[in-house]
Amino acid sequence: MADDKDVLRDVWFGRIPTCFTLNPDEITEREAEPYYLLLPRVSYLPLVTDKVKKHFHKVMKAEDVEEMWFEYEGTPLKWHYPIGVLFDLHASNTVLPWSITVHFKSFPDRDLLHCPSNSIIEAHFMSSIKEADALKHKSQVVNDMQKKDHKQLWMGLQNDKFDQFWAMNRKLMEYPTEEGGFRYIPFRIYQALSERLFIQKLFRPVSPEGNTHTLGDLLKEMYPDALTNDGEQKRYQVLIHGIEPLLETPLQWLSEHLSHPDNFLHICAIPVPTD
Amino acid sequence: MATATNGFKQKSCGVLDEEEFYKCCRLLLQQSEQLRDGWSWEAVQGSEGYLKKTALRPVPAPQREEESGSHPQMHSTCNPSPQPPQEEQPVCVASSDPSSSSDELEDEDDNSCWVAENIGLMFQFEYHILYSCSYAVPVLYFRAFTLEGRSLTLGEVWSCVHPNFRICLQSCPLNAISQQEHPLLGQPFFVFHPCRTEDFMKPMLQAAQDQHRTVNYVLSWLSVVGPVVGLDVSLNYSLERLPGAPPCSPRQH
Repeated sequence: MADDKDVLRDVWFGRIPTCFTLNPDEITEREAEPYYLLLPRVSYLPLVTDKVKKHFHKVMKAEDVEEMWFEYEGTPLKWHYPIGVLFDLHASNTVLPWSITVHFKSFPDRDLLHCPSNSIIEAHFMSSIKEADALKHKSQVVNDMQKKDHKQLWMGLQNDKFDQFWAMNRKLMEYPTEEGGFRYIPFRIYQALSERLFIQKLFRPVSPEGNTHTLGDLLKEMYPDALTNDGEQKRYQVLIHGIEPLLETPLQWLSEHLSHPDNFLHICAIPVPTD
Repeated sequence: MATATNGFKQKSCGVLDEEEFYKCCRLLLQQSEQLRDGWSWEAVQGSEGYLKKTALRPVPAPQREEESGSHPQMHSTCNPSPQPPQEEQPVCVASSDPSSSSDELEDEDDNSCWVAENIGLMFQFEYHILYSCSYAVPVLYFRAFTLEGRSLTLGEVWSCVHPNFRICLQSCPLNAISQQEHPLLGQPFFVFHPCRTEDFMKPMLQAAQDQHRTVNYVLSWLSVVGPVVGLDVSLNYSLERLPGAPPCSPRQH
């Protein structure tokens, strides 16, 4: 359907206007101006912030510069989460641009993974794709791909090439017609303000009786607190790529169209702002 | 006591479901208590949880000069280049002091310089066994610290891996160790990638099935992956029966 392809494009080209400010405790040779950038929702911070690094390196001495890391309102940002997920989870109802603080020392290695090079991002990205395919196809599709096909997925993301990426990714979105969908849906539900990192469990897109499962069905099973009962006030927003899809949306459709390039549906349940 | 938890269901595949995983863990725990092997169960939010064990390990002896270039570079599972990453913290803490007691100090080799500094000291390793529902297998997570509490880098951890294992792992990036977020604790840990576990467990389970032996999946799996990162699995675990334990029959499906 032409409409559905548009959705794929809208998801891929989603951007978040961001303002990067240097941590005031960094040692600089002169004042550091903030740096503005449109961040792709579907990418990863270290992959798209070379310009940020270069910009701040210009005002710092080499010996004062260590591994770059980012923080939002005191929380170190996990670079291995897609940028859009970080925004939806931490700053979705705040005024744009998103204000991120840049650090070059005191790397919090109890909280953040190290990211010394792009190959670490690639390994992480491919690892997610493989895990998603393990759930969708018992790894059959991803294992049938050649190394150059895997590389194409990564290069598509790295170079922001929608067509290159989807030429290969569409294979990961196929399923036998008689099945009605994937074996299991790759998803993660993130809850803001929770001890728990995320919910990730096995969930089928179609019930044993043949009914199509919806987003609402998924939440009912995995995180019923996120749902609003009749007569109650809405307590949570359920966001995917910054929007609230209707709970009646079929989960299989969401998985095919609103997954991130890593093939996971990243769902953020955040408390409704009270003001 | 050998368990019958991996009866007929697992004979044709190398995986196990979550219930089986918890059963195997409980049995392993019982045996561990008898053997005083140090495993404990950490519960997380209800029925979920993981097996945990900490152990002190000696800092490895300095490598021979020709070997020393090969190990710190496993930061990337895909990058075959031997370049150390620029942002990596230097491993060598002390300056190359000619009056130092160790004759094996190499100025340009950070690794053996550091190791020479730490000879006779210990690292604290922490091992966690979690279940991956995506791959339907157990996964080994681990991290290590110096006694002062500094986290070890991947390069340093890699230097603790026996050279024979290093060769195997380096050729198969997906079998390699990489740093990932612990799914329950949210902190950085090192992980053995689980995507090949099914491949090596399948023949093992099949052989056990053919010989009418029952197998504790988690224990067998651990005996394969554990030793690679210094986690030894005592042969005593494979003793047929613990005193007082009832005999068991294969599970019907």
